[in-house]
Amino acid sequence: MPSITFKDAQRRYQKAFAPVMVFYVIFCFAGPVLLQSMLEPPLWVVSLVAIMTALPIAGVFLLVIRLLRETDEYTRKVQTDAILVGGAITLSVTVMWAFLELFEAVPRHDNFPSMILVAPLFFAMWGLAYVFQARHRR
Amino acid sequence: MRNHLKTLRSARNWSQGDLADELGVSRQSINAIETGKYDPSLPLAFRIARLFEQHIEDVFDDGINEAKET
Repeated sequence: MPSITFKDAQRRYQKAFAPVMVFYVIFCFAGPVLLQSMLEPPLWVVSLVAIMTALPIAGVFLLVIRLLRETDEYTRKVQTDAILVGGAITLSVTVMWAFLELFEAVPRHDNFPSMILVAPLFFAMWGLAYVFQARHRR
Repeated sequence: MRNHLKTLRSARNWSQGDLADELGVSRQSINAIETGKYDPSLPLAFRIARLFEQHIEDVFDDGINEAKET
């Protein structure tokens, strides 16, 4: 018997996921407000706000890794497959987009770095891959 | 790999969720094993067999013996 059941692993993940997301939303809104309130924020403040805003995303990945290690073998297999497919699609799309930008086939926006879309794209592709594979498993 | 999990589970009047709770796995795992879409690891196969007080080869059948007989 594994040390932790599937339901306990799910509960542990959900319990930790909620505060991490709250932290992320707070920083997404509070970070720009804080920077705008300062006339010329020093580089270290700007860097700190940027890193703190992105840190919860790293936290989500750590939670996912813990969930995959603690959950049952079938869920681990299914989710790992979906993560691999989602990661492959995300990397393929981002590399293609990078070359399109490099060759100036698409416009580059200095105020909106395209790299900011990589994580949301990965999570979306992971979700789609999971749903697609679930339909195939029926 | 074929198995008799559904028959054993039904004999105890357990739902897939009940069996999943007994084994500490997801209901989807039980469904995947019963429908032959997923072969459990050896440790999980042993846990299933022990839960039903059966030998592992009485629960899971890889069809080798059948092939030898024919």
